[in-house]
Amino acid sequence: MGALIRSYGRSLTGLFIVLTVAWVIGMIVIPQLFMVERSLWVRQESTQISLEIDRLYNEISTLQFDAQQAADADKPAIENTISGIEDRIAELEVQEKAPQKVYTLDNYTRMSGLHLKIFVRTIVYAALVTVLALVVCYPIAFAVAKVATPQAAAFLMLGLIIPYAINELLRVYAWLMILDYQGVLNTALQWVGVTNLAAQQWIPFLESPAAVFVAMVYAYILFMVFPIYNTLETLDRNQLEAARDLGASTWRIHWRVAIPHAKPGIAVGCIMTFMLSAGSYSVPQIMTRGTSGDWFSQTIYRQFFESNNWNQGAAYAFTLLIVCIVFIFLMMTIFRVGVRDIAR
Amino acid sequence: MTTATIAASAAPVRRTREGQWAGVVLNAYMVLFFVYLFAPLVVMTLAAFNAYDYPSVTQWRGWTLKWFGELARDERILQGLRNSVIVGIGVICVSIPLGLSGAFILTRLQSRWTGVLYGVLVSPILTPGIILGISTLIFWRNFEVPGGLFLAMMAQATFIASYSMLMFMARLQRQDRSLEEAALDLGASSVLVFRRITIPFLMPTIFTASVIAFLQSIENYNTTVFAIGGNWTLVTEIGSRFRFGLSPVINVIGVIFVVITIVAATVYVLLKERDRRARAAK
Repeated sequence: MGALIRSYGRSLTGLFIVLTVAWVIGMIVIPQLFMVERSLWVRQESTQISLEIDRLYNEISTLQFDAQQAADADKPAIENTISGIEDRIAELEVQEKAPQKVYTLDNYTRMSGLHLKIFVRTIVYAALVTVLALVVCYPIAFAVAKVATPQAAAFLMLGLIIPYAINELLRVYAWLMILDYQGVLNTALQWVGVTNLAAQQWIPFLESPAAVFVAMVYAYILFMVFPIYNTLETLDRNQLEAARDLGASTWRIHWRVAIPHAKPGIAVGCIMTFMLSAGSYSVPQIMTRGTSGDWFSQTIYRQFFESNNWNQGAAYAFTLLIVCIVFIFLMMTIFRVGVRDIAR
Repeated sequence: MTTATIAASAAPVRRTREGQWAGVVLNAYMVLFFVYLFAPLVVMTLAAFNAYDYPSVTQWRGWTLKWFGELARDERILQGLRNSVIVGIGVICVSIPLGLSGAFILTRLQSRWTGVLYGVLVSPILTPGIILGISTLIFWRNFEVPGGLFLAMMAQATFIASYSMLMFMARLQRQDRSLEEAALDLGASSVLVFRRITIPFLMPTIFTASVIAFLQSIENYNTTVFAIGGNWTLVTEIGSRFRFGLSPVINVIGVIFVVITIVAATVYVLLKERDRRARAAK
C-alpha cells in the first residue's frame, strides 16, 4: 500500500482502490454469488394453504345458509364470524400468491435424465475438441515459432490472425454451408455417386452431433495455437541445436526440450479451448438450428427464456462453471503451472 | 501455397536427410492446415455473390450484387450495428478505467494478497461467456434492471476489463520508474506526475486496449445473448437469423467482416514486422 501511495498520492490511490473494489465486488464476486444463491432455492406453492382456503369458503357458505334460517337476534353474531373468516381468507390468499422461498438442493438433484445426458455429452465433446486441437496445433505453433524464418513467420502469423479475428458466428456459418443438406460436402459426394440431391438422398450431417463437433473444432482451434506459439517463441534455438548435436532424435527433442518449455502455453490453450467449447452457445445454436438435440448451453438458455425457471437455469450454469474450474485446476496440476503463468 | 515453401527454405534446425523428410511432411501439413482454415471462408464469401435465395455455392444462379443492396435496406441489421457501437463505446468507458486501476494496484501492491487479487481479476477471462451473461442478468434483476444494452455492456466489460488490465500490466512492467521518482523528488505533486509522465507513457496502450475492447465487444455473442433482453446487437441479430430468415445477406456481412479483418490484420502484422526490423537493426 505504501508503494502505491508514494507513487500516485492519496487521492489517485483511493480512486484506483474504489474502482478495483467496485469491479471485484460489483461485477465479479457478487453476481456469481447471486447466481449461486438463486440456484439454491425454489418457490414452493403450498397445497396446504389452497386446501385451507377452500375449506373456509365452504364454511362461509354454510354460515350464510344458517343466517337465512336463524332468528334476527343471532344474525349479527353470525355475520361477525363470517367477516372474521373473510379476513383470514384474504390473509391466506396473499400467502398463496407469494409462494414460500425454500432453500434446497433440488435444482441440482432434479436434473432429468435427458438433461444429464446432454450435460455429459457436452463435456465429453469439449474434452475431445481440446485433445484434437492440441494434437493438430502443436506442430503448427512449433513450425511458426521455431522453423520458419522471421519474414515467413510474420506471413504465417497473418494467415493465423485473419481466421482468428473473423467473427465466431460467421466461421461456424461457413461450416453450416459445407455440411448443409445441399451443401458443398453432399454435392461433392454426388460426384462420387454416394448421394443424389435431386432425389433428396443426401447425408443429413446437420442432424448429427458430429456436425457441431466439426464446427467447434474449427471455431476454437486457433485459441490453442497462439498460447503455445507465445511460449515456444521464447525457447532458445540453441537448446534445440544442442539437443540435436548430442544425438537426440526429433521425438526426443520435442519430448524433453520443446514441450516442457511450452507447458504454460499448452495449459492455457487447453483451458481456453475447453472453456469455450463447453460453454459455447453459438456453435450448437447455428449448426443444429433447433432441429437436432440440444447442447448444455442451449438447455440453460431454455431454462431462462422459455421455461422461465431461472433457479434451475442458475443451477445448471453453476454446474458448468464448476466443471470449468475443476478443469483449470486439473491442467495446473498436470502441467505444474501457477495462476501467474496461465493468464498473461 | 507460397507460405509453406517460404517456411521450407529456412529450416535451420533440420539439416540431416531425415530432417529433410521431416521438413517435407511439415510443409505438407502446414498447407493442409491453411487450406482447412481458409476454404470455409472462401465458400462463405462466394455465396454472397450468388443470385440464389438460399445461401449456397452449389446451386449457382449467376453472379449478383443484389444482396449488398438488400443489406443496406435491412433496418434491423442497421439498428443492430448502431446498438453494437453504443455498447462498444460503453465497454471502452467502463473497462479502460477498471483495467488501469487493477494494473496499477497489482504492479505496485506488495502483499501476499496480490496473488489472490490477480486470480480474481483474471478469472472472468477463464469463465464461460454464457455464465458472465447469466450472473449479470440475475444480479441486476434485484435492482429491477431488465436485460438490454446496458446489461450487455456490463456483462461484456466484466471480462474485457481483464484483458485491458493484462495489456496495461505488460506495459507497466517495462516502465522506467526513475523518471517518476525524479519528478517526485523535485517536488512535483503525485497528480501532476501521473498526468504528465504515467499517462503519456501508457497512452499507446490505452489506444490499443480501447480498439481491442471495442472489437471484442462488437464480436461478442455468447455473453451478450443472455444479457441483451428484447434488444439486439448486430451479432445477436445475425444469430437469430439462423433460426428464421437465413439469406445471403448474412454472407454479405461475412464478406465485409473478412475484408475489414484482412486489412486490419495486414496493417497490424506489417507494423509489428517494422518494429521487429527496427529493433534488430539497433
